[in-house]
Amino acid sequence: METKGTNKIAEFIYLFFIYSKLNTKIMLEYKLDRFLLAFAVFFREIISVVVMVLILTRFVHIKGWEMNEMLFLYSFLFLSYSLFIFFFTGIRDFDDMVYNGEFDRFLIRPLGLMFQIISSRIDYCATVGHGAVGIILLLHTAGSAGIEWNARNLLYYITALIGGAIIQASLFMLSSCFSFWAVKTTNLRNLIFFNSRRFAGYPISFYPAVIQKMLIFIVPFAFVSYFPAQFFLRKPDIEMFWSGYLYLTPVVGAAMFALVYAFWRLGLKSYSSSGNSMY
Amino acid sequence: MAFISVENLVKDYRINSRKKGLLGAISSFLIRESILKRAVNDISFTIEKGEMVGFIGPNGAGKSTTVKMLTGILVPTSGSISIGGLSPYRDRKKNASRMGVVFGQRTQLWWDLPVSDTFDLLRYIYKVPEKTFKHNMEMFNDMLGIGDFINQATRQLSLGQRMRADIAAALLHDPEIIFFDEPTIGLDVVAKEKIREFIRFINREKGVTMLFTTHDMADIEKTCNRMVIIDNGVIIYDGTTNEIKDRYGRERSLIVDFGENPGDICLEGVTICGEGEKKKKFTFNKSEVQVSSLISRLTQEYSVLDLTIREPEIESIIREIYEGGIDFDKSLSGICQEVVSEQRSLQN
Amino acid sequence: MIFVNISIWRAIYEEEETIGGVQFKMLITYIVLGFLLQSIFAMEEYLIENKVRSGLISSDFLKPISFRFYIFSYNMGTLVFKILMQLFPALIVSVALFGMLPPFSVSSAVYFLVSAMLAYLVLYNLNFIIWMSSFWFYWTFSLVTIKDAAIMIFSGALLPLWFMPQWIMDIIWFTPFDSIYFTPISLYLGQIPADETIMCLVRQIIWIVILFGIGQAMWRSANKKLVVQGG
Repeated sequence: METKGTNKIAEFIYLFFIYSKLNTKIMLEYKLDRFLLAFAVFFREIISVVVMVLILTRFVHIKGWEMNEMLFLYSFLFLSYSLFIFFFTGIRDFDDMVYNGEFDRFLIRPLGLMFQIISSRIDYCATVGHGAVGIILLLHTAGSAGIEWNARNLLYYITALIGGAIIQASLFMLSSCFSFWAVKTTNLRNLIFFNSRRFAGYPISFYPAVIQKMLIFIVPFAFVSYFPAQFFLRKPDIEMFWSGYLYLTPVVGAAMFALVYAFWRLGLKSYSSSGNSMY
Repeated sequence: MAFISVENLVKDYRINSRKKGLLGAISSFLIRESILKRAVNDISFTIEKGEMVGFIGPNGAGKSTTVKMLTGILVPTSGSISIGGLSPYRDRKKNASRMGVVFGQRTQLWWDLPVSDTFDLLRYIYKVPEKTFKHNMEMFNDMLGIGDFINQATRQLSLGQRMRADIAAALLHDPEIIFFDEPTIGLDVVAKEKIREFIRFINREKGVTMLFTTHDMADIEKTCNRMVIIDNGVIIYDGTTNEIKDRYGRERSLIVDFGENPGDICLEGVTICGEGEKKKKFTFNKSEVQVSSLISRLTQEYSVLDLTIREPEIESIIREIYEGGIDFDKSLSGICQEVVSEQRSLQN
Repeated sequence: MIFVNISIWRAIYEEEETIGGVQFKMLITYIVLGFLLQSIFAMEEYLIENKVRSGLISSDFLKPISFRFYIFSYNMGTLVFKILMQLFPALIVSVALFGMLPPFSVSSAVYFLVSAMLAYLVLYNLNFIIWMSSFWFYWTFSLVTIKDAAIMIFSGALLPLWFMPQWIMDIIWFTPFDSIYFTPISLYLGQIPADETIMCLVRQIIWIVILFGIGQAMWRSANKKLVVQGG
């Protein structure tokens, strides 16, 4: 039984690899265009970093946070988003798939639906654009923010990034569930997601209590950037929060994904293929 | 037991009624008012292994909903479907691995990549053995000429080439059952004939069960021996194509070229529907007027140069059925149930 | 978005003595004003691109003046609509919620209005150049995104330009960017000395002329390109 399970996983990985190969081939077909797009995303994203740097050049520190520490916190947002987009572009574009009938095609294939959604799309431009900003920030701050990179910390770092990516994937998936009932929530989703993300670029202790609660309990971006960063930095404002939060990122990610996935299965039953593929 | 058996299949759709404007959008988001529409209303049928069955019916009649339930895309509201002992939606993956689907209007080929890339991917998805893959590709090459354009990107193909590649893609894994959704839509006569020929070949050689939905009656006449007509969510006819032609194609027309102007002709049970100087077109019901006696009367009384008899096209018969011009004869074996006039089911 | 920015500024100034002081209020006013101007200055970026890609442009091109006029009036219509429907309500909210300051003086209010109108024209003509580039690139999403990002940072839409290091300011001086948001908002706040005010407005006008000239040249060569290719 066990070998059968590992075989199955190996098969999935292999298929995912083939899908990625095809997506890469398409990207290479439009090299110049995609390169420009990745650059545009990079440029757009680095703007908010530049603003942060300019502010901190003037004020040196905000509430005890110095520039390197803030940029380290910010790097979590970019890297986890990049990771999320690399693996879960399909979830971001799910409502598109429902509207153009691509999802009908998935239903007639002998493969898991989630697997097909995830492996059918990769947005290299966003992955590279966000990833480049994240890597620049990390390289710049990994040494200077006073973090000891031992095995334990490295493991925590990777787990936190994956957890953060899954939290963001769950938020997008939640919104995509509504397309089963033909309710379009893309605009609402973007409004909530990207504004929460902007909040999470700075330590949440900067904000009024209502916003802190929102970022912990409702749109849990605090677990994407603030708590993981605090695990390494231990700035004094951590006293404001329960210390257990520092370790919860993967738990929050897993719990959210499980809940949203259950909701997604429920939605699937109400799916009424709106595409006109079979007249 | 039949290969496919469908019993008392029902599908309801919930349609949200939306109000206009921003306030309307908000209120319909909060309080969801919805109307239940029955797209498929209690239908049952069986299909044997190796059969070729054509599903026809006007847009919104429920045939596409039925086929979507058969392929496992939609979950039935009630009733049961069994394909070779499996439920299409409960055993979705297992069922999918032995099923092929061709959507005429939507390709499954990757738009920006060479056709061969899609085939490679499908080969892994369906775990097609190396030998089968090679053998099938050779067959597609011989019969459909796939080799001519296999290295071209899908977006560069003509519609005919794309359709041939799509059909080949659906057949790559030797499915036991294939669903064709308008497989010849938009193609020219030659391309249509080529595809029909290939479909017949596959059915004959491999014994694959095939289901069509189409609007082109020639597709059904030339490939299927069985036809299912769906309207308003119910099956109104299920039988052979010939039977329906025999029963309802009773009207014949006779076109006669005369040597000289025959003047007024008056024959019992025959109406004149077209008139030229030396040419007349008659129509009559073949059960009331015998063709042979009509011809012998005409040739005896007038000098006849040429005559042609025309049967009605099946297409025009179907058109009449859709428009309600034909009342079904209850004794006809194909008629499944009484056709109740109902609110037209939704367009899906 | 505006709430995020203001929360951060509030956090920054909380430590400093000046919270509630003039400096903080001015900054908030700057941020809010920048946000309001951005939201009413937003234009339809893909009007020309869509026409180019669909091929409809060649028929529009036969009557060049009317097509450019059409695009301009389309955007003007949007502007007026946004001023009426969005700006006034948002203004009331901003004054009540964020404690936005009134104009520094009556004359600075007048200068602000004039400068804001000129700023719109600078932005419009800059955008027009990007839109016209669709004749050569077909897809302009990347260019538009890069342009937007550049405007965000170099025009002082997000952050007052006085936060910039001097060497960047020296570069910005040679670009049209500061004419778009920084100039009108600075005039509103009375940050520009009276003797430099006219100079600022003149600079805006010069940029309008230069950008219009470039747009005109692109329009001509696009016209030629279409004639050569036959549409």
